[in-house]
Amino acid sequence: MGGAVSSCAGMVCAFAGVPIFTAAAGIIGIAAAVTAGYAYTCIWNKVEKVSVKLGVPCGAGGALASIENVIEREKVQVDKLRSEVDQLNIQIMLSQRQRRNTEEIIYSIRDAVIVIDEGEQILLANDTLGELFDFDPQAGKGKTVGQVIKCPEFTNILRQSKDSKTRHSKHDITISKPDGARIFSCIISCIYDEKHNICGVVSVLHDVTREKEISQMKNEFVSHVSHELKTPLASITAYAEMLADGEASDEATRTEFYSIIQSQAQRLNRLIEDILNISRIESGLVKISKEPVSITLVIRDSAEMIKSYAAEKNITVHAQTPIVFDQVMADKDMISQVVINLLSNAVKYTPAGGQVSISSEVNEMDNIVRVLVTDTGVGIPVDEVERVFDKFYRVKANNKVAKGTGLGLNLVKQIVEKVHDGRVFVSSKQGQGSTFGFELPLGVRQSS
Amino acid sequence: MIERPFMTGKKVLVVDDEIHIVHVVAIKLRNNGYEVLTAENGCEGYKIACQEKPDIIVTDFQMPAMTGLEMIEALRKNNETAVIPVIMLTARGFAIEDKQKESLRISDCLSKPFSPKELLRTVEDVLHEAVVMQ
Repeated sequence: MGGAVSSCAGMVCAFAGVPIFTAAAGIIGIAAAVTAGYAYTCIWNKVEKVSVKLGVPCGAGGALASIENVIEREKVQVDKLRSEVDQLNIQIMLSQRQRRNTEEIIYSIRDAVIVIDEGEQILLANDTLGELFDFDPQAGKGKTVGQVIKCPEFTNILRQSKDSKTRHSKHDITISKPDGARIFSCIISCIYDEKHNICGVVSVLHDVTREKEISQMKNEFVSHVSHELKTPLASITAYAEMLADGEASDEATRTEFYSIIQSQAQRLNRLIEDILNISRIESGLVKISKEPVSITLVIRDSAEMIKSYAAEKNITVHAQTPIVFDQVMADKDMISQVVINLLSNAVKYTPAGGQVSISSEVNEMDNIVRVLVTDTGVGIPVDEVERVFDKFYRVKANNKVAKGTGLGLNLVKQIVEKVHDGRVFVSSKQGQGSTFGFELPLGVRQSS
Repeated sequence: MIERPFMTGKKVLVVDDEIHIVHVVAIKLRNNGYEVLTAENGCEGYKIACQEKPDIIVTDFQMPAMTGLEMIEALRKNNETAVIPVIMLTARGFAIEDKQKESLRISDCLSKPFSPKELLRTVEDVLHEAVVMQ
């Protein structure tokens, strides 16, 4: 670079300028020399953004200022572009981070998620979906759903939703797995571009197998309970109508009818109390009044109460208790209900002529009292033993032996474990009988 | 109410595992001239039906040993009991589908709690219809 430069003073000077380049950054400065009687050397350094002027100022200063202006404008332009590039880089980085975050969110969702484009190619699928349909979600990217998901019910729903352009739809689908069929609630939403054309479909599959099971259990419970409530109610209304219609011809018959109405009303009340007690214990609203209670006395009283019911079936009830300190801090009514429930269950599921025994033992080492109720009844199939304390659960094979609501043993469990910090247990052999039991912490012996 | 004197002496089998229900139905029917047989489950009901050939059966749905529906299925398969009219008395009316009711030829279903008067009328109606059909 060189030539003549006209200064503002009208003096012609000689100018020689050399741009300074580097391969990486391009022009980084200009070295210039101006001579017109005085030598002037200038190096503009764009990195440090300062002009280094060497030598003695001469009359060509104006010309140099002009060069500096050009350089300054270029410098501003370069700075602006550089700033824009920096901004864009930041935006790209943010977008990438945002995308990673979004993907991480989707991958961390416990529900199965899949996003496909309008050509049914997989854009994204999380690990849960991969596990569900048995494929590698990363390897599946870019392939069509039909290629990797071998579940026509699901792929057809995706296709139908895309083709029908339904914004949101919900379906229940059943997917077979090695451990059994599972039910999924499948929510499908179409994705639209700015021109309102479908550009993809997103689907979330939520496992509702447990919810369905609970719903079925609740339905069965309502069905059981309504049956159990209606049965005594049916007797009450029928006998009341008979009395009102004068169908009881003599005083003895009338007395009998009144007595039946009374006993059925009590039965109805007991059932409602059972339901309410479970509900109260579960919600923590039950009133508990704990006092020192002798297990021996509870067993004796309960066995006495159950004897008339057992006698109807010709079943003998034996009670055996040790003469030791066996007091527990307990709500007496509740513990009595536990023992009565276990005894009446034992009688209920024991064929006529069988035996029921109740015993207790104190384990001072572990500081517990253990109560065992053993029967010679129908027993429980091995795979159902663990579930007998579940609310509303009834052993299917024993449904025909006796009626019930599936509440009695659950109430036992709630009272022993939730209210008294004890433990319930059961062992059974189908066709031979069962042993139900519970343990309670031994109370503190009062010093006399 | 229309008098139907020909119903007197007809044999009714009442099947229910609730002894109080069997008792009240039996009294109502006996007071109105019927001969009443009773059973406490489907299995026993089936045996008595085969032996005694009742004119009509009133049965509960849910019973131990053999449910009411299982008993009716067994009755329908036996030529000697196939045409005995059956009335179901159940606390689970919804559990019996119309299709099932039709295929097992269940004449009527009454829901518990029930009115003994209404049950008596139903028994009379069904028997009357059976006589007319003959």
